[in-house]
Amino acid sequence: MLLAFGNFTADPSVNLQLLIGGLALGAIYAVVALGFVLVYKSTDVLNLAHGEFLMLGAYFALTFLISENLNFFLGVFVLLLVMLVFGLLVHYGIMRRMVGQGFFAIVLITLGIATIIRALLLIFYGPTERGRLDLLPQGSFEIGGATVRHVDIIIFAVVAGCVLLFFLFFKYTRLGLHMRAVADDIEAAAAMGIDPDKVYAMTWAAAMVMAGIGGLLFGHVTGAIDRSIEAIGLRAFPAAVVGGLTSLGGSIVGGLVVGVIEQFANGHLGTKWREPVAFSVMFVVLLVRPTGLWGRKDLERV
Amino acid sequence: MNASGLDLTIEGLTVVYGGVTALDDVKINVPSGGFVTVLGANGAGKTTLVRSITGLLYLHKGRVRRGSIELGGESILGKKSPDIVSAGVAQVPEGRKLFPNLTVKENLLCGAASRSDISGIDDSLEQNLDLFPQLRPLLSQTAGLLSGGEQQMVAVGRALMSQPSLLICDELSLGLAPKIVHRLFELLTEINETRGTSILVIEQNASLALQHAADAYVLELGRVLMEGSAAELRGNPMVQELYLGGGGEAHTSYAAIERPSGGKRWGRKRTGGDS
Repeated sequence: MLLAFGNFTADPSVNLQLLIGGLALGAIYAVVALGFVLVYKSTDVLNLAHGEFLMLGAYFALTFLISENLNFFLGVFVLLLVMLVFGLLVHYGIMRRMVGQGFFAIVLITLGIATIIRALLLIFYGPTERGRLDLLPQGSFEIGGATVRHVDIIIFAVVAGCVLLFFLFFKYTRLGLHMRAVADDIEAAAAMGIDPDKVYAMTWAAAMVMAGIGGLLFGHVTGAIDRSIEAIGLRAFPAAVVGGLTSLGGSIVGGLVVGVIEQFANGHLGTKWREPVAFSVMFVVLLVRPTGLWGRKDLERV
Repeated sequence: MNASGLDLTIEGLTVVYGGVTALDDVKINVPSGGFVTVLGANGAGKTTLVRSITGLLYLHKGRVRRGSIELGGESILGKKSPDIVSAGVAQVPEGRKLFPNLTVKENLLCGAASRSDISGIDDSLEQNLDLFPQLRPLLSQTAGLLSGGEQQMVAVGRALMSQPSLLICDELSLGLAPKIVHRLFELLTEINETRGTSILVIEQNASLALQHAADAYVLELGRVLMEGSAAELRGNPMVQELYLGGGGEAHTSYAAIERPSGGKRWGRKRTGGDS
């Protein structure tokens, strides 16, 4: 999809091209996986609606940046603000009532949210597919016989920036500390005066904002924006699992690894091999290390 | 710099989980600056009592059916746990419940979650490290890897970070070496005397708790079975039999012991509010 290489070849420039394409795709997976992991780690919810969140972001990007034709930075600001509000709505409207319910009941709720988002997008945006976004610089340059698009570089840089911000946030802010405390032990956190409700709300808001960024980026590299782009959620799932569902850093590495593997499978074996290979990698990792490469079981000495 | 103790008054407290009654008409008073212990075997309702005071019942699908809980004359019943911590109640939970993946320092800082005076938090951290100097070299260690005794020190220190006027310790002695438990109880007494913090200790280890507390209650099957000064309860043959391992028949069943009629041997005793 990103780069269609059907020919099997050992030409180094082709492999370089695949590597570059894989890293760009992997960066997007990483953003999606980060959203998965953030919610899973903090609230214990496996959010199967994350692909839809991202699709919501892409459609809102269409609205604010194309239809309303806002200034780019203002448009992005409004986009992320709206996503944040939607995240709060997901928590206060739905997920809050599910706290303490069974794991699978909550997973099913997220599938329900996914369905609702798809339906609402159909109602408000119609079935017609839209062209991809073209707000980021569209040029490209050559390096070692491979073409590097400016968009890919920007995607990579934005994702790296987000990851850095997240890391600093969790390590050095009070709210970040409280989020990690709730992830470790919700009852102990509540007993210390941390409000789990507030932490959960912030988690959903942050996940939505991440999905907004992801949607904006993915909208630039997808063939078209339609209601099938939510599949990115499923495709990024191996990335999250490979990294370990509880490791933010792992989700980044997992995203890049799976992106590159997919591109090589795509380039050397053909498009139809892309997803089987990605999921096979996930299975192998799970067989060898059930918690993913960087996931951890809770440390506890009794 | 710590707020002095606030009077905790619990009256007629009845708590249910689903259809099961865990506490029945419980009346307990922790006077301002007092040191009170609640004794009881497993299943007596001790932890339910802690959850009721600290607003955590909802996490276990429990609810208060009747009764009142007042701190310094103000009802804290139905308040959310963060508000109760802000009101001055801190706890050392049963089983310590540290955040295992966080460092010791981060654990301690989480105890200050309710505070808005950011600059004062560092002072409290220092104060805690003076109280538990063993923790100083462990500050950047992952809490889950500490020994049980070290973990319990972190748990007590974490609770103190909120500068409580009432400190509740649930089963402080559980699974710890007697020497460490002794030291922890000495520290509690010191905190009680020097800072005026009220202390409520929920214990199975009756002998130690009765040595340090001024007043004591015995909880059994959700009811207050006895209450009185710690000295009185120490001398009581039934308490000795059941909780102090006295007599040659330490394993006598509850049923075999003659109960005072009405379940209470003493009337409520008023004890001094200072200690």
